[in-house]
Amino acid sequence: MKRAPHPHPSSSELSGPRYWRSLDDLAQTPEFLSQVEREFGPEASEMNEVDRRHFFKIMAASFALGGIGFAGCRRPESHILPHSKAPEHQVPGEPLYYATGFSLRGETLPLLVETHTGRPTKIEGNADHPGYKGGTTRKAQAAVLDLYDPDRATAHTKNGSKISNAEVSDLLASLKDDFAANDGAGAAVLMESSSSPTRLRLKKAFQAAYPKALWVEYDAVSVSNAAAAAAKVASSANLQPKYDLSHASRILSVDADFLDEEQGSVKFSKQFASGRRVRSSKDDMSRLYSVESNFSITGGMADHRKRLASSQMTAFLAAFALELELGVEGNRLRPILEPLAAKLDADTREWVAQCAEDLASHKGRSVVFTGQHLPPETQALGLLVNEKLGGLGKTVSLVEVDSGDSSSLADLAAAIDSGAISKLVISGGNPVYNAPADLDFAGLLQKVDTVVRLGYYADETSEASTYHLCEAHFLEAWGDGRTYDGDVVAQQPMILPLFDGVSEIELLGGLLGETDSDGYSLVYATFQSGNGNPGKRAFDKFLNEGFVASGYRKSRSNISGVALADWLGGFSAPAAPSGKESLEVRFLNDATVDDGRYANNGWLQECPDPMTKLTWDNAIVISPRLAKDLGIVAPNSMIQVARKNPNKVRDGRQFAKVATIKVGGREITGAIHIQPGLDNYTVILPLGYGRSKTGRIGANSGFSAYGIRSLDATAFASGASIGLTGETYQLANTQEHWSMEGRAIVREVNLDDYAADPDFVSSVGMESHSPPIYGKKGDKFSTQEKITETPRGGSIYEHPNFTGVHQWGMSIDLNVCTGCNACVIACQSENNIPIVGRDQVRRGREMHWIRLDRYFSSGLANDEIPEDPQVSLQPVACMHCETAPCETVCPVNATVHDEEGLNAMAYNRCIGTRYCANNCPYKVRRFNFFDYQERQLDKLYLGPLAPKGMPELVKMAQNPDVSIRMRGVMEKCTFCVQRINQAKIDQLSKAKDGSDVRVPDGVIQMACEQACPTDAIVFGDLKDSDSRVSVLRDNERSYSVLGYLNTRPRTTFMARIRNPNPKMPDYFDQPLSKVEYKAKAPKSPYGTTAHDAPGHGEAHAKEGGRH
Amino acid sequence: MSKVFPKWSNTLPLKVIVFAFVSVTTLLAGITYYVTPKYTRVGYEPSQPVPYDHEFHVSELGLDCRYCHDKVDESPVANIPSASTCMNCHSMVKTDSPLLEPIRESYASGEPVAWNRVHQVPDYVYFSHEAHVNRGVSCVDCHGRVDEMPVVKHAESHSMGWCLDCHRHPEEVLRPIDEVYNLGWEHPGGKKGQIEYGLQAIEERNITPPQSCTGCHR
Repeated sequence: MKRAPHPHPSSSELSGPRYWRSLDDLAQTPEFLSQVEREFGPEASEMNEVDRRHFFKIMAASFALGGIGFAGCRRPESHILPHSKAPEHQVPGEPLYYATGFSLRGETLPLLVETHTGRPTKIEGNADHPGYKGGTTRKAQAAVLDLYDPDRATAHTKNGSKISNAEVSDLLASLKDDFAANDGAGAAVLMESSSSPTRLRLKKAFQAAYPKALWVEYDAVSVSNAAAAAAKVASSANLQPKYDLSHASRILSVDADFLDEEQGSVKFSKQFASGRRVRSSKDDMSRLYSVESNFSITGGMADHRKRLASSQMTAFLAAFALELELGVEGNRLRPILEPLAAKLDADTREWVAQCAEDLASHKGRSVVFTGQHLPPETQALGLLVNEKLGGLGKTVSLVEVDSGDSSSLADLAAAIDSGAISKLVISGGNPVYNAPADLDFAGLLQKVDTVVRLGYYADETSEASTYHLCEAHFLEAWGDGRTYDGDVVAQQPMILPLFDGVSEIELLGGLLGETDSDGYSLVYATFQSGNGNPGKRAFDKFLNEGFVASGYRKSRSNISGVALADWLGGFSAPAAPSGKESLEVRFLNDATVDDGRYANNGWLQECPDPMTKLTWDNAIVISPRLAKDLGIVAPNSMIQVARKNPNKVRDGRQFAKVATIKVGGREITGAIHIQPGLDNYTVILPLGYGRSKTGRIGANSGFSAYGIRSLDATAFASGASIGLTGETYQLANTQEHWSMEGRAIVREVNLDDYAADPDFVSSVGMESHSPPIYGKKGDKFSTQEKITETPRGGSIYEHPNFTGVHQWGMSIDLNVCTGCNACVIACQSENNIPIVGRDQVRRGREMHWIRLDRYFSSGLANDEIPEDPQVSLQPVACMHCETAPCETVCPVNATVHDEEGLNAMAYNRCIGTRYCANNCPYKVRRFNFFDYQERQLDKLYLGPLAPKGMPELVKMAQNPDVSIRMRGVMEKCTFCVQRINQAKIDQLSKAKDGSDVRVPDGVIQMACEQACPTDAIVFGDLKDSDSRVSVLRDNERSYSVLGYLNTRPRTTFMARIRNPNPKMPDYFDQPLSKVEYKAKAPKSPYGTTAHDAPGHGEAHAKEGGRH
Repeated sequence: MSKVFPKWSNTLPLKVIVFAFVSVTTLLAGITYYVTPKYTRVGYEPSQPVPYDHEFHVSELGLDCRYCHDKVDESPVANIPSASTCMNCHSMVKTDSPLLEPIRESYASGEPVAWNRVHQVPDYVYFSHEAHVNRGVSCVDCHGRVDEMPVVKHAESHSMGWCLDCHRHPEEVLRPIDEVYNLGWEHPGGKKGQIEYGLQAIEERNITPPQSCTGCHR
């Protein structure tokens, strides 16, 4: 009998949760529909600016040039240059690893850095550290590119002209003499905060030597409010709250993005993931509540999420505290808290009440996380609430952090204004760019006689300084720092400073006139004095291990409710933002370029923001409600982008309207991005863009939100207004590329439903409708049989022979993946993936081998603007399908399978037909439209005539174990085949003439797996039934994306579980995605929807898999 | 009516066919012989800054390969010795030989000696010495009798087909691990004995040389 062709599902029969990747997708606008049908978007496959005729002209010219001379016929002579004297430990061809640390705003991540012949190439987390366990962040991963940035400062300068190292020494010596002559009067030092013990030691020495000098610390994104709060309500000084989620089963995040942007995010991600990692339906799972103004990664992971302006968090916490037993302090606290809490509406009060009840019923195992940007009063309330929840000393501890005394930027401004400062040393930071706008810092600097600036880039501040000293990268300099919990981390260099840079501690050592002011001696001296002179061997051990697990000392202080009541008595919370004329703006450090310090890092610029998916620019992020109020929503559509002309919709190009935000008499102008899930009248302004003086990468990107940030409102400001300018701007957005058309891609279930039906994943999705994938109906196969014998099922293709010793596979747990993008950068660094530039991203040609798909689901019908969507994130890389659709269409066998199940890509065979990319259902193949590795990104369209753009310096960042791909070649995730091969070869060397050639489980770690702060990705050998990946693949939650296509992917996903509280007012019976799916399922004549019937998947199985 | 075509034109088609046949055959034969690694690589014998004589050092003095190429069994690359390795002996032996001047100079100044590369695989090929020498593939199988070469020359073609020949039939080259660096070793049972030994070694050592792209290309 002839088999009926498998029909394409109509939108009403889509048998799975429905997700939408953008509001356009949800609205199914005609432009969007035409775009998804094209698969790659119009411009991803078209030439631009060069027509066919012109192209042939250039081709002819290059052929003619190629024919001149016979230089290509001679064997090129090449040389091998061995060392003159072989250095210790170095094996040519083998990488060498060093432990070091990456510091950002006073938190140091312990790292292990891979070096090849003396140059650092890849940053990984130090897996030995008990708290961070090898996790990293995208910013740490990208730091290695900064080292080789051709735009970094390469010389010490005085008023713009180069000075020698000797002159720098003379300068420091003369400054020292000046300072010493009058106890430091007239001198000031401005630095960023740091946890480095060496810097603290030098700071104290500096303050002792020059008592009249002003020591100022300023961070563009402040992290000091928690300490200020603790100082008020906990009796002793120098205390800071430190959270610990390892035993937290109920977590409330109050405007805190603790999984991504807060201090300690890597540690929290690890701990949070371990509380969420459900392995069977009987396992317990923690619950996360989130109340926030922005839509953060933490909010995306939350089981219940409430949108609220940041200014209302004090009221929120006051209401929360009122729901708890306040004990004897209640009498004092209640009259203070009640008027604050009264500002919340009844719905929110109900939300708070139920949430508080849930947390209170888990005494000692619940925690309230307060965002680090919130004002000290709010932080103090958070501390009180944690104490009343019994969490103090368990989930939150007050620890003694000695960071010395320092003055604020306002003090410095006042001192300069009064003419008291004649010599200012600025180290790090970039105050001219990021100081509050009302200080006019550039103007202030003109009043100072001598400004000495130590900076990694010659930036805005350097321009306004007398001297610029170039700073050493952390991979070039000795140093130290502390982790979130206070463990001291070594920062050891692995390459000499490329441009004679000096480090901050060396600068301080010079100012103090220390005899041994080189970095090593300073760090060594700190280590010896801080640990009771344990000697050189102990120091070497410290360097070898990378850290000393010392930790901060815990304090036994209590929180005084009375002190809090006294303090809060005078606190008046601002009114909630209520409309487009009374908006609240929130300033956030950007997810990628941070506060502007990584503006010239191409990897980070091109890394999509985890939620908005914008690259290369920032945007004024507004809520759908505000967009509607502004009238920028087109009729019958909820498009996020304001379009001038609907026909101009292009893949990746977001034609955004430009708006002006006014607050406090200042204004800024930027493009608008509409993001569901924000507080209605809060506007999010990511900082860090709009740099006026930076390198080639960071130039002309976005707007600077610092322009409207004032000293008294650095985190959020109220009373803002917004108005459209009538212009549009093209944002580069990776959001709508490769839409999966709403099929059952991410599968979700509530925890109680999971317990009732552990096998739920097989009842959603097309698999319940398709013919059986493995064997005949009812056949049972083990994972090992499936991957090696591959029973034929309905496939017409021959399978390759999987005869290898190993069979590689990957499992990704969607229940713990937060979508932080650390894997994206790790992969880019490991696999020499180029950046393509803003223009190419707009055309949908970004090259990332792994991407994070972000889907929204609202549970609403299509004609309402969603304000409270749920988000589902999914990392997607090449799935290494056993019956790979890409392989069957390659005309030159450039993509074929190997014996161990890898879908290999032979670059030299590839002729660039792109058939494979067209045939890949997961859209994971990436094509080199240009020589991104070699040509300047702004001159790509000149083709072979374009100037070669990659400086030698940048080439040093490349991994020598991975081929560089040229123009016209397809590429994609290789499962880090270089790491697999290295591990296999190491195993062979061990085996010698023995037979044990199987690589033990866990030896090979993919770059993405290694970087993942939640261990969501597990790679291993599926042939070994005890390997971690086999166990996960056998788990009932495991499923294949688009499994019904019989592609048999080697990468499987584990369904996401949500854990809502039935008592909450916003409880959802099923994940919103599933609600939507059900709403779209066809109605059965028996009154229930077809997909609603119990045992849906089972029913299909009985029917023989046919509908 | 006069003839349009002269008489000699009758044989023209045949001549054209023969000429085309001969020239195409010659061209193909030329390409096959001159434009493949068998011709372009084999026999390449550049002179070196120091005329190091492998035959003398290995066959007459009995140096092991790994005295100089000491990382060959723990790294993908068989390292070229640093000047300090040479100076281990030559600080005492032949201390004033003019031929050794570049070595002494390098040792004193720290500047490397620029040796001419003889064997080179393309950048997209990731060959590992470690994986071969530790599993019973001898140096001689790829580099020839270096112990009989006063000047090192390229002995084999090192083309992809040549690699695959061996990866498909490893029994022809597998030998006991402790004979790997003995370039003169041959199986006492001759060709037949070698094949028998090789097949047994494949079984015992679980030898599965990769024959797919990922084995060498990353």
